Amino acid sequence: MKLYEFEGLRILSKVGIETPFFVMTSDLDAVKQARKRLKFPIVAKVQVLSGNRGRRGGVKVCTTEKQLTAFAREHLGKEFNGEQVRFIALAEKVDIESEYYISITYDTALKIPFLLFSQKGGVDIEEVKKANPEAIIRIDFDPLAGPIKKDLEKIFRGSTPNRGRTPKEDRLIDFILRLWDAFWRYDCRLIEVNPLALRRAQSKRGSVNGEFDYVAVDAKIILDDAGLARHRDLDVLSKGAISAIPSQRELAAKKIDEEDYRGSAGSTFIELDGSPRGEAGDIAILASGGGASLLVMDAVIASGGRPANYTEYSGNPSREKVEKLTQVTLSRKGLSGCLVAGAVANFTDIYETLSGFVQGLGQIKPKPDYPIVIRRGGPRQKEAYEMLRRVAKKEEYDIHLFGPETPISVACKKMVELSNQFKVQSAKFKVNGKK
Amino acid sequence: MAILVNRETRILIQGITGKSGMQVTSELLDYGTRVVSGVTPGKGGQEVDTVPVFNSVGEALREAGPVDVAMIYVPPLASYEAAVEAIEVQIPLVHIFVEKMPVFDTARVIAHASQKNVRVLGPASVGAISPGEGKIGSVGGPAPDAVFSKGPVGIISKSGGMCSELGLLVTNGGFGQSTVVGIGGDLLVGTTFVDLLLEFEKDSQTKVVVAFGEVGGSAEVEAARVIEEGKFTKPFIVFLAGKFAEKLPHDTALGHAGAIVGLEATMEQKIKILKNSGAIVAENFEDIPKLIKKVL
Repeated sequence: MKLYEFEGLRILSKVGIETPFFVMTSDLDAVKQARKRLKFPIVAKVQVLSGNRGRRGGVKVCTTEKQLTAFAREHLGKEFNGEQVRFIALAEKVDIESEYYISITYDTALKIPFLLFSQKGGVDIEEVKKANPEAIIRIDFDPLAGPIKKDLEKIFRGSTPNRGRTPKEDRLIDFILRLWDAFWRYDCRLIEVNPLALRRAQSKRGSVNGEFDYVAVDAKIILDDAGLARHRDLDVLSKGAISAIPSQRELAAKKIDEEDYRGSAGSTFIELDGSPRGEAGDIAILASGGGASLLVMDAVIASGGRPANYTEYSGNPSREKVEKLTQVTLSRKGLSGCLVAGAVANFTDIYETLSGFVQGLGQIKPKPDYPIVIRRGGPRQKEAYEMLRRVAKKEEYDIHLFGPETPISVACKKMVELSNQFKVQSAKFKVNGKK
Repeated sequence: MAILVNRETRILIQGITGKSGMQVTSELLDYGTRVVSGVTPGKGGQEVDTVPVFNSVGEALREAGPVDVAMIYVPPLASYEAAVEAIEVQIPLVHIFVEKMPVFDTARVIAHASQKNVRVLGPASVGAISPGEGKIGSVGGPAPDAVFSKGPVGIISKSGGMCSELGLLVTNGGFGQSTVVGIGGDLLVGTTFVDLLLEFEKDSQTKVVVAFGEVGGSAEVEAARVIEEGKFTKPFIVFLAGKFAEKLPHDTALGHAGAIVGLEATMEQKIKILKNSGAIVAENFEDIPKLIKKVL
């Protein structure tokens, strides 16, 4: 789960990293109130999950009330890079002496966490990699030991510019140790501070005392979803799969897995209803398996169809989980088909999961009259299909069943054809109905 | 010959008294695989399908003899300790079936394992099967013979479902398999495409390897590298899924934790790198048997 900047900064504060004082606002009233707790200049920053916020005009140093109000009016509740702005953070301006970049993430090839530190902060790290690769230091960490202080001392001694009276290196090393603490303690997949600012520390009387400290001016954190189970106390907002603000269906789907770890259903649900959530579609997808679900999506699109969503259930989820996911997925209006497809299962009980599908289907109002294509194989598939035939007959569902002898792509193609026929039919029906 | 598992393989199951643990035990016994012991702390003295249950891995090894593989079937947040217990006593292969294991736990398990010279398969790995020989994990479920058959094709997939789907496709195309391995779709996995290619290279039964690749991650790119370096010399056929996701924003996560749009290399880059290395990229999934025929 990707976090907003302010959520990331809060995590950094928890491990004792210095962050600028900031106030969160979600409406103009709050902006007015917050203004009383801050001195100009105030840095106003829209809270969005997409990158390059600064370059797109999402960060502004405001020196007057007028500027601040104008900025808030321009952005609050409005679209920013395809995302609705729910919050603006108002922060004290940090007197930056120098800017750096620092991040910790996993190297999937070496299977270890590593740190990147760049002398050039405040710019895109990818650009620094191209233009000034020598400005970047990479340090690999043993996940069992974490960073070793002695090694860090060796690496950073003398490499930090602007030697002051106090050893800045020690401050940087302290910062790195704390950043690592945040990284593993909160199960992060990525933690990135850009810019990391070197600031002249303020004495208590407010005068500059000649010392320096490091401040995380920005924070980009991606949490490991699998780790969330041990951070129930962490105060973060639910996010959609693509957009920061999840659709109702995305939220509902995510809830299904939160209670029960056995098998997954709906952890990943992407509503495809037009920008920014992909092209709008009309074929509901209930795919099975992380791999097969990709194949299914590709095959539907290759046949000219447009999925209304991406989701998958896998492992061996209970009947109830699949029932809920079916309800969520089919609650979308204007569907012209439903595709339940997956590979030949190893240990998923097909009878159980398809019973869940039928239970969910039965609760959809109005009763679905669009074609339903099912392609599955695996444990108890034959029993499941007998059950489906009975239900289809009784309830007059238009269900088309395919077993493992039919390739996934063929079933997907069939789905698209049936959906197209359905659209033609219902268009005719509408015209006739008017007469 | 096959890789990872054969007729002689002796298995210990951690979490054997759980629902999935009991099910996999009976499936393995039905397949003729030797499950020699199980572990569930506090349930020592019980039996699951004739397999004795012990309180710890150490006790199981003392009482029921050494094993080649430990299979982990415990809840996600208990997997780290279970895996470390098996690694500490240097069971050569630790298979982690568990899904939703936190990535930091996985990183630490892999680090422990490399210190102790232990191979980790998974997490979220369906297992491995050498048809007609033996199997690890839940691959093929209760009826592996319905999809797998013995032969010269090695199969690698992150996805468990696609292991079976590929097995079925290849079997129906008239080819059997040497070993079929599901490596798991998490961000970090103990055994990668490359690790398996190197094993398949040494295996005389394997004449060609087929892999199911996905959007995100660098598994396919690394595979291309070992082909280029001449460390894997047999034909390598790969299919890539998830093209649809290229239109979605960067960082979008799909069903597999490792399938993240824009992570490492784009689909187009992967195809190019693979083709340049001499790998065969299957345009359509159903073309795979035809491509196998061409190279055998």
